[in-house]
Amino acid sequence: MSARLALSYVVIGTAFGWVLSRSGAGDYGVVQRMFLFKDFQMYGLLGVGVLTIMIGLWILKRVGRSAAGEPIEIRPKAVNAGNWVGGGLFGIGWSMTGMCPGPVFVNIGEGKVYALFAFAGVVAGTWLVGQFRPWLANRLGLPR
Amino acid sequence: MRILDGQPVMHWALAGVLLGIITIVLLWTTGSRLGLSTTYECVCRLFSGVPYFQRTELAGKGAWRLWFALGLIASGVLSAMVSGGWHPTWALGPFDDAIRLGPPGKAVWMFSGGVLIGLGTRIADGCTSGHGLFGLANFEWASLRSVLAFMATGIATTWLVYGVLFR
Repeated sequence: MSARLALSYVVIGTAFGWVLSRSGAGDYGVVQRMFLFKDFQMYGLLGVGVLTIMIGLWILKRVGRSAAGEPIEIRPKAVNAGNWVGGGLFGIGWSMTGMCPGPVFVNIGEGKVYALFAFAGVVAGTWLVGQFRPWLANRLGLPR
Repeated sequence: MRILDGQPVMHWALAGVLLGIITIVLLWTTGSRLGLSTTYECVCRLFSGVPYFQRTELAGKGAWRLWFALGLIASGVLSAMVSGGWHPTWALGPFDDAIRLGPPGKAVWMFSGGVLIGLGTRIADGCTSGHGLFGLANFEWASLRSVLAFMATGIATTWLVYGVLFR
């Protein structure tokens, strides 16, 4: 990857993380208040985010090309039993840590020491799935 | 509501629009579909040789997620620096009021939750960003199912922890 492309990813990541940090999406308390229905913040954020992306995709699909002139291909994710099972497991982890995968990195940056342990956990869980992928794929109908 | 040493939160409408625009900019400028849980596969690829982590989509340009994650970490540092200064902290809001575990307990709690995030997002093939933001906006069935599942168990877990076990 060219240094310029790598740098664009860093810049876009920084912008994305900044909004996560300032909006409370990386805040344990805000996430708990979402799950307790005590606070509209996260529902509003996700709802408006989805709507904005919907409009953006509608436009981009009509344009059909990226800034570099390459065709834009969006491969939909596979529908299988893993959506329910995996989604269910992830929800428990999201509630316990108050972080989803992106905010884990943001929280590490913010100096939240416990986020390092969440990070180690996510890597361990990901590694475990890698070890048992063929078995899981059989059981849940996941793509190989 | 306050975050990070008492900072006011960004309005949800502004935050939603910005996250949406950044997601579209990412797709338009680089061709990459937003999805942050796959970053942890890129991390595993750095030390694990199992076939699952040697897939072609993680190689070459697929490593973009590591650069993006570097940006996420940098944003956290910046955000803390402009709001009272960067300093390491174990503060955990409502967790400290209700559950009252010290750093060792928090470390175990966070690691356990993290393992569930890793298992779950790999099995569901996505998280709040890839399924919740991008997938829903792209009208994908897999995403609707995953979002319903993780919202349901998230609500149930928080209710169990704060409504029953540590009320």
